Amino acid sequence: MSTRLHLRLRQPPALRVSLDDIVPETGADATEVARRPLWLGREAVELGELFDVSAQALAGDATPELVIEGDCRRIDDIGRGMNGGTLRVEGNAGDYLGAEMLAGEIIVGGNAGDLAACELRGGRIEIGGGLGDFAAGALPGGMDGMRGGTLVVRGNVGARCADRMRRGMLLIHGDAGDFLAARMVAGTVALAGRAGAHCGYGMRRGTLVFAGPAPETPPTFVETRHDITVFWALLRRSLAYHGGPFAALPARTPRRLVGDLAAGGKGEWLLPQMD
Amino acid sequence: MSATETTTRMQRNGIDIDDTFAEAFPMKATRLIITAHNDTWAQHAAIAATGFATSVIACGCEAAIERPLSPDETPDGRPGVAVLLFSMSGKELAKQVERRVGQCVLTCPTTAVYAGLKDGEPIALAKNLRFFGDGWQISKMIDGTRYWRVPTMDGEFVGEETTFVVKAVGGGNLLILARDTEAALAAAEAGVAAMRAVPGVIMPFPGGVVRSGSKVGSKYASLSASTNDAFCPALTPLARKTELDPGVNCVMEIVIDGLTEADVSAAMRAGMDAIVARGAEAGVSRLSAGNYGGKLGPFHFHLRRILGGEGAA
Repeated sequence: MSTRLHLRLRQPPALRVSLDDIVPETGADATEVARRPLWLGREAVELGELFDVSAQALAGDATPELVIEGDCRRIDDIGRGMNGGTLRVEGNAGDYLGAEMLAGEIIVGGNAGDLAACELRGGRIEIGGGLGDFAAGALPGGMDGMRGGTLVVRGNVGARCADRMRRGMLLIHGDAGDFLAARMVAGTVALAGRAGAHCGYGMRRGTLVFAGPAPETPPTFVETRHDITVFWALLRRSLAYHGGPFAALPARTPRRLVGDLAAGGKGEWLLPQMD
Repeated sequence: MSATETTTRMQRNGIDIDDTFAEAFPMKATRLIITAHNDTWAQHAAIAATGFATSVIACGCEAAIERPLSPDETPDGRPGVAVLLFSMSGKELAKQVERRVGQCVLTCPTTAVYAGLKDGEPIALAKNLRFFGDGWQISKMIDGTRYWRVPTMDGEFVGEETTFVVKAVGGGNLLILARDTEAALAAAEAGVAAMRAVPGVIMPFPGGVVRSGSKVGSKYASLSASTNDAFCPALTPLARKTELDPGVNCVMEIVIDGLTEADVSAAMRAGMDAIVARGAEAGVSRLSAGNYGGKLGPFHFHLRRILGGEGAA
């Protein structure tokens, strides 16, 4: 039988705290979970000192759930390496949210910090607010960024989003900071708002869809004018599923630029709103 | 009197239904969805891809158009065609799919190709055809499915990476015994038209009809199959054994391959109903089926059971 584990942050901690061992599959024993050690600086404290912990059984074969409540801006590694179940954060989250996640779903009502969804491999993450820098990129020392799954951001994202991204789908309803999808290896990024400077810098492959205003075309990107009706139909249908500004992308074939020519030129920008 | 007819006679609308069965075999099958800029080009590709695919005896596979697809039934929202391909092994089917899609769909203007089944053993669809792109091909994962985009002179060819193979049934059949060519052809055409409305089946012979029904073996050692002399009107007075009554001067056969036993049975039922509805006045005197005594194929389609009449078990 599955359980719903509920953690309510009593008050924001003075130092950053990593929660990387606590995932939806953690278990039902609230007492045991409350005794788990967390590092608060150099001091080990019990999880129960920071959070009120409760658990309840779920009916049937429902997937396990973890609900984290409170202003968790200093709680890092939420859902890191998660491999199933549902995790809901009712408030803000710290850094490394959903990093290296394999499967399952994370839903955050507020904002999340830096390095969210880094090296994401599978599953789905939805952020009600915005993200800090380096989202969907590589972890420090890593070679590739996000490599699977879906990341939906309802707000804005910071700089270096999708740096070295290799696979998966990223949808940004708001604006993006500088160097969006720089050094991108493959995958799909769709942006509804404005992009910062150096968008697609050094991208090797992959697709960038600009559902909103088109960015300035860099000199290392050139236009192709061939018929991509089929691919656009497949992609447009997939994007529309996520709603918002992506629900009504025009059916006519978008303008297409390829680049970065300095990195092979097999990446593409699709500009559906432009005549 | 026919050797397959028993003392109990079953008639429908004046047409005798033989107390016999069609014997069918296990095969491997896949469904492909071919789309194009319009119906015409989708049909061109589908017809070419399913050409020379009447019998596994010498074609490598049996294939035909299952049905046309409207834009709202296809992955890319364009007009399309569903085709079914059957072969005796998954390995041979994989070879046939690659050759036929590579030479007949990839080459056809504006086409794209997708898997028409979502479960089964995966085999390559565009997986190897991508190399035609000479390094310019692009892989794209959309909602868990990998597609290949290969640059071509009209734009780009899009193909799903894999398709799926399932166990299927091949060799369901119906023999139409008629007074002359005109009557046999008209009945066969009506039967095929009714069968084409059944999902999951194809009639792989030209127009869905075969006039050269075969038996297993031959007097010539190098041949594995030869003319079904028991159903040849030319041999009625000559052959050691005949299945034909006086007055039967033309026999046509409809061969049916289906994704499931139920699909083949439903198609045979639809075909028989259509022929029976035309009545004996239209020139058909009997409906029969081809079998090998039940020793070769595990699927037996008893005509009377399918029609649900007397003698049905």
